[in-house]
Amino acid sequence: MPSSRFHKATILAHESAGRGYYRLVLRAPEAAATALPGQFVMLRVSENMDPLLARPFGISSVPSRSSIEIVYRVVGRGTALLTGMGIGRALNLLGPLGRGFPVPDKDTMPALVSGGSGFPPLHFLSQRAGSRAHLFVGAKNKECLPPAGIIKSFKEVTAKVHIATEDGSVGVRGMTTDLLNAFLTRMEQKTHLVIYACGPHAMLAAVGRIAAEHSITCYVSIEERMACGLGACMGCSVPMRAGGYKRACKDGPVFDSREIDWSEQVVLPIPHVKKKL
Amino acid sequence: MKRIIPASKPTLSIDFAGIKLKNPVLTASGTFGYGEEFAEFIDLSRLGGVIVKGISLKPIKGNPPPRIWETPSGMLNAIGLENPGVDVFLSEKLPYLRKCDTAVIVNMFGYSLEEYVGVAERLDGAPGISGIEVNISCPNVKAGGMAFGTDLTATFDLLSAVRKATRLPLIAKLSPNVTDVTDFAKAARDAGCDGLSLINTLLGMAIDVRCRRPRLANCTGGLSGPAIRPVAVRMVWQVARAVPLPIIGMGGIVTGEDAMEFILAGASAVAVGTANFINPRATLEVLSGIERVMAEQGVGDIKSLIGKVSVG
Repeated sequence: MPSSRFHKATILAHESAGRGYYRLVLRAPEAAATALPGQFVMLRVSENMDPLLARPFGISSVPSRSSIEIVYRVVGRGTALLTGMGIGRALNLLGPLGRGFPVPDKDTMPALVSGGSGFPPLHFLSQRAGSRAHLFVGAKNKECLPPAGIIKSFKEVTAKVHIATEDGSVGVRGMTTDLLNAFLTRMEQKTHLVIYACGPHAMLAAVGRIAAEHSITCYVSIEERMACGLGACMGCSVPMRAGGYKRACKDGPVFDSREIDWSEQVVLPIPHVKKKL
Repeated sequence: MKRIIPASKPTLSIDFAGIKLKNPVLTASGTFGYGEEFAEFIDLSRLGGVIVKGISLKPIKGNPPPRIWETPSGMLNAIGLENPGVDVFLSEKLPYLRKCDTAVIVNMFGYSLEEYVGVAERLDGAPGISGIEVNISCPNVKAGGMAFGTDLTATFDLLSAVRKATRLPLIAKLSPNVTDVTDFAKAARDAGCDGLSLINTLLGMAIDVRCRRPRLANCTGGLSGPAIRPVAVRMVWQVARAVPLPIIGMGGIVTGEDAMEFILAGASAVAVGTANFINPRATLEVLSGIERVMAEQGVGDIKSLIGKVSVG
């Protein structure tokens, strides 16, 4: 009866991956056997009551039949504590959780769009269905891109990797969304294209708009603060165009971009920071 | 040679306000949905009971995100009482719970006296419902909940009206955000309630210092988790000494020891809430923890410990 989706997962590997990211490999046979690209796990970084909640991490790959890989960076107390946990240490793991990406069929050309630290689920997707995929990844500058090892890994399994940096230090100078838009505009035949995007909400909203302009189906993986990860607490709500909310952990994190009411997801400007001209 | 006689299993069953519970561990409203999400992790029939997520007359969408924020040994929530409404609860959620051999207590609320009565009438007579927990104290809604639960007359009038609308065991869930919770316990007793449950969440707030904005879209929210346990234990102790109604104690229970604090303070049963978020098996671990403490102390019947904290 006790589900194998909740158990203590031993750390098998944990090292710096470059550019501020860490690669963590955990022993998790159930997750390794059943995880689908787009799914995530909840990890508790403390045996104590503080920090209280588990943190969600997208699964980046399944390196073996009994292990899963997470790639993360420090964004707060929880992830900071996680960096200090060594090989052999065991963490409480819940997962795999959520609805993953709809699997691209063999005729689909996936356009993977990655922003910020959103690459892990797309990395997993590319390993399973990436041979025809084009990856579009961008950042402010070279140091804000995904780790070089991850980009290399994408290059090995996908058709092409397109990089954009706002300062032009790597790849094309500009935004990821401009790169994507230019690519789509150049394509004559788009009916076999499906976009899979993961990154900050503002980027997902922009990708959703581009997809709509080109009449292409677009799946986005939404990040939202979570408590239970199971669908019980109703904390991770995503506003829907049809009204009401869905849960990022259970009804998502992957949604058809057209379902989402992006107006409620707008990132508010910081009052005391003057907008850069 | 002396024969070793194994200790018999301790008695955990309890009659709470007319509801037969096989053990004193229930799930707190709002932390367990309607049970289905947890079924893969625990056998629901091992629970004393499930107190479901609050139900209203009409469906409620809930608040915009962000709805949650972690705090020291706790969390704030401003979910906004999202629920599918009483009709959908009865047709789609209750049937599943009825199949589990556990008490089903329906938490409910409204924005007006008429709505509370409307929900109570719909629930009264629905098969499979063991009791009703009236939420007079939710701190997240702008109208309704908070207004009733911090006003003695409104509390009495509300609970009296709900009492008339149902013959089911009636439990009043008290708010801690009041000057003297025992006054509200007395109002609930006078209105004809069969039992009390406390505490609901404490009203709290967190601010993002960089953006200079509240962390929750609703600005304020309810604080839960281990951080609130001392307040909850204190209030259970105060209410138990003031009013002879049975109490479901809750507020940051994670272990069997935590549950025992509430029982010694005067609770006849306990509810596990936020702990379910960090461990889907928390309820059963609390239950086995209670059994372990009883075995260690040679206690045969849980009822013998209710209110047994010695003072002075």
